[in-house]
Amino acid sequence: MFRKVLIANRGEIAVRVMRTCREMGITSVAVYSDADRTSLHVRMADEAEHVGPSPSAESYLRIDRIVDAAKKHGAEAIHPGYGFLSENADFAAACEASGIVFIGPSAASIRAMGSKTAARRIAIAAGTPVVPGTDHGVTLAGARDFAARHRYPILLKAVAGGGGKGMRRVDREADLEGALRDASSEAERSFNNSEVYVEKLIERPRHIEIQLFGDRHGNMIHLGERECSIQRRHQKVIEECPSPLVALHPEMRHAMGEAAIKAARAAGYYNAGTVEFLADADRNFYFLEMNTRLQVEHPVTELVTGLDLVRLQLEVAAGGRLPLTQDEVAWTGSAIECRIYAEDPYNNFLPFPGKLTRLDRPLGPGIRLDGCVYTGWTVPMEYDPLLAKLAVWAATREQATDRMLRALHEYDVGGIRTNIGFFRQILEDPEFRAANLHTGFIDDFFQRNTPPAPPAGLKAVAALAAALHARTEAKIPEPQAAPNRWLQAGRSDLLR
Amino acid sequence: MKLQLTLNGSQSEIDLLSPAPHARFRFDGEVERQAQVEIPEPGVYSILIDGRSYDARVEEQPEALVVVIDGYRFEIVARDPRRFSRSGAGRSGEGRQTVVAPMPGKIVRVLVSPGQEVAVNQGILVVEAMKMQNEMKAARAGKVVAISAREGSVVKAGEVLAVIE
Repeated sequence: MFRKVLIANRGEIAVRVMRTCREMGITSVAVYSDADRTSLHVRMADEAEHVGPSPSAESYLRIDRIVDAAKKHGAEAIHPGYGFLSENADFAAACEASGIVFIGPSAASIRAMGSKTAARRIAIAAGTPVVPGTDHGVTLAGARDFAARHRYPILLKAVAGGGGKGMRRVDREADLEGALRDASSEAERSFNNSEVYVEKLIERPRHIEIQLFGDRHGNMIHLGERECSIQRRHQKVIEECPSPLVALHPEMRHAMGEAAIKAARAAGYYNAGTVEFLADADRNFYFLEMNTRLQVEHPVTELVTGLDLVRLQLEVAAGGRLPLTQDEVAWTGSAIECRIYAEDPYNNFLPFPGKLTRLDRPLGPGIRLDGCVYTGWTVPMEYDPLLAKLAVWAATREQATDRMLRALHEYDVGGIRTNIGFFRQILEDPEFRAANLHTGFIDDFFQRNTPPAPPAGLKAVAALAAALHARTEAKIPEPQAAPNRWLQAGRSDLLR
Repeated sequence: MKLQLTLNGSQSEIDLLSPAPHARFRFDGEVERQAQVEIPEPGVYSILIDGRSYDARVEEQPEALVVVIDGYRFEIVARDPRRFSRSGAGRSGEGRQTVVAPMPGKIVRVLVSPGQEVAVNQGILVVEAMKMQNEMKAARAGKVVAISAREGSVVKAGEVLAVIE
């Protein structure tokens, strides 16, 4: 086993990896930018190295500086975490070239699965189902032909696209020509490339993904699925294991697991990886993409399988064999995770950096908290505003939901805004409790709900607290003629 | 001590008749009530009223006192009796409107040019901050008289990016 590992990341995931390193007696080396000198991952690490200014392009994305730091500290391996350089094939190759073990798959596997279109070709060749689509730009005749074969609704997407630009849903033939023209011109404006391709539209899809693990001796197993259908801005915010849909139809786990293994094997994959699928109402599932790294939401799999995925990653990277076979993987109970962000959910999820003045963390039965924050810390504005991942385990989904509500009730973060209250509202929602999940859930939720109004009696208590505080501590502020920039950011119609 | 408050936008009055720990108060002219109050840590008020327990956390923000109870957030400012309504302040239907950066970030795209007429809610520019892109929109219709933002430039919070008349 390695004696020293450098963690090429920051935030909660760096802390998460260090915890397992410490349990395994491995010395951990942190890297940090100017903004992160006092961040928890630096304080927790055994050793630390400064790698540049705050913008990640000049620090956490600098392959040269990170490899130099590993050499300087004598680290034998680098754990990339998620994000930053974790899916960068050049980084994996640079580690290999320097004689440092990259804790993840080979550079070749990352390259193969890194491009969406290349990954799709691999999946098709391996017999894994994919969403029917043209994969290349089409003319009106081509789009018509596709729709005739696969039926409406279809989705037009920019070839060079992302972020929903140049995307149009088409429900019938009569709308096709206009939609194609709109999508094409929007694609041209956004990406300087007017090419548009066609995909079959999956209505109200669920996002279900399979956790894979392979060693360098040809063994590969799956650790079951996670359902991550609750998303905002195309980013997951609540994840569960098992998927409520798969729990009702256990044969899906086996079918999706086998399909994922086939696709990953075709790319010569080893270490941790995740194959993402979309599932439709008829329980058909389609390959979406493969993430060639540890996922943010890995704790729910750990809670239900009892495994430590970071430990497995380290063991496999050090050349060890997987310590268990497919038959030995067992799933017990139900786990849910909420990603706690510094953001205002009732204002388009606007990020809310700032100083944490107060922090009360949930404790007690069945709670797991992977975080990187402490009282007095300032959430930097340079990075993703993820504060912590709150995960719970219980015997059933219903109990896990109740436990999560209890944990959110105990969670108090002062000085900044967070999505804690929003999660409470979602977890109490009858549609969530009935597990009617799909990737458009949050948009629907906002159609059905308004921000929660406090119970009637609470106003008097708030006024009393303010009066007591004003009497001894600070004067209650006068209304300001011009709201400051945060109020502007929070409330002005400019951002709506 | 009598306080006129604006509490989450609505007007209230609290009369604190005696202080902690055995507080007596009257809220919005209702009957007088008693509260047993302890302060376990600065800014945290443990309040017992009629056998119910409340944990109120008070934050001093520059623009308001923020009280959080059971996850609910109350923004409280002292009411200024000289004005009857602030709701329209700074947001009238006419005049000059400035588009300012809500936080430090990078201008990803400028969607309009000087002299252009814009409709209400039309996108003016796209700012990236904390890995997220936010489209800044016109609060009302008008004509773009100045664009100081350049694509790719880094801006500070509060910096004026565009002016619309």
